[in-house]
Amino acid sequence: MNIRRLTELALLSSVALIIFIVELQIPNPFPVPGVKLGLANIVTVYAVFRYRPSETALIVTVRLLLGAIFSGNPSALLYSAAGAIACLCGMLLLRHILPEKQIWLCSVIGAMLHNIGQITAAIIIMQSIGVIAYLPILLVTGSLAGAFTGLCTQLVLHRIKR
Amino acid sequence: MKNRKILIAVILVFLVSLCLSVFILRHSDKQTVEIVQDGELLYTFDLNGAEDKDIRISAPDGSYNLVQIQNGTICISEADCPDQTCVSMGVLKSDYLPIVCLPHKLIVRFAEDEP
Repeated sequence: MNIRRLTELALLSSVALIIFIVELQIPNPFPVPGVKLGLANIVTVYAVFRYRPSETALIVTVRLLLGAIFSGNPSALLYSAAGAIACLCGMLLLRHILPEKQIWLCSVIGAMLHNIGQITAAIIIMQSIGVIAYLPILLVTGSLAGAFTGLCTQLVLHRIKR
Repeated sequence: MKNRKILIAVILVFLVSLCLSVFILRHSDKQTVEIVQDGELLYTFDLNGAEDKDIRISAPDGSYNLVQIQNGTICISEADCPDQTCVSMGVLKSDYLPIVCLPHKLIVRFAEDEP
């Protein structure tokens, strides 16, 4: 990996981290645990379409670890990591199928997979199947948020030509 | 063509979960609530006749939750855990979504009405 590439990845990671921390300050209108806008995923989706899978995974890992430390809530790391892995695998597969015009769709599916991963982790950690009642709510809010971040990414990709 | 199938599948999942959400978030018509800590039933109330009060529930390690009953509703008004999820969940409304405090293993939920 050359220096230029490394710098770009570092820049993207820090942008994602900044968005993540700014988003923490926005009060959440839905008092359901796990529901959030996920603006930092604009960077993730951007990276999925512009960088190699391994590089995208690096960005997401850095953002997850540092995000957990900066937000002062490391116990949430397990849930978000499970979600991020599921989301990333799905989007990396879809990247080859969907054209650039349908990035929002890719992002929606990514968001849904993220929620499914989160809930799976919660079921395993809490050892109670009752948590699954959250899944439909998370799927609805998640796919709306995913569509929004996906559209943002489409705009960004359009503006930043390679 | 393949894309259209994916699109339809996504829309289908969305609609199904929308319906399920409405079902899950429906307000409960039950009146009996129970407070369970670590699998042990601590209190049972009838919200209908309950007077307003605060109940302090301490965990073995000294941490606590403050359960508030007001105007026939129940919520956790204070907790000394870092994540405060139980507090931000607000008033207990649904049969399927109990108020849970993970760090203190505390659950506030609707119970089957006594016959």
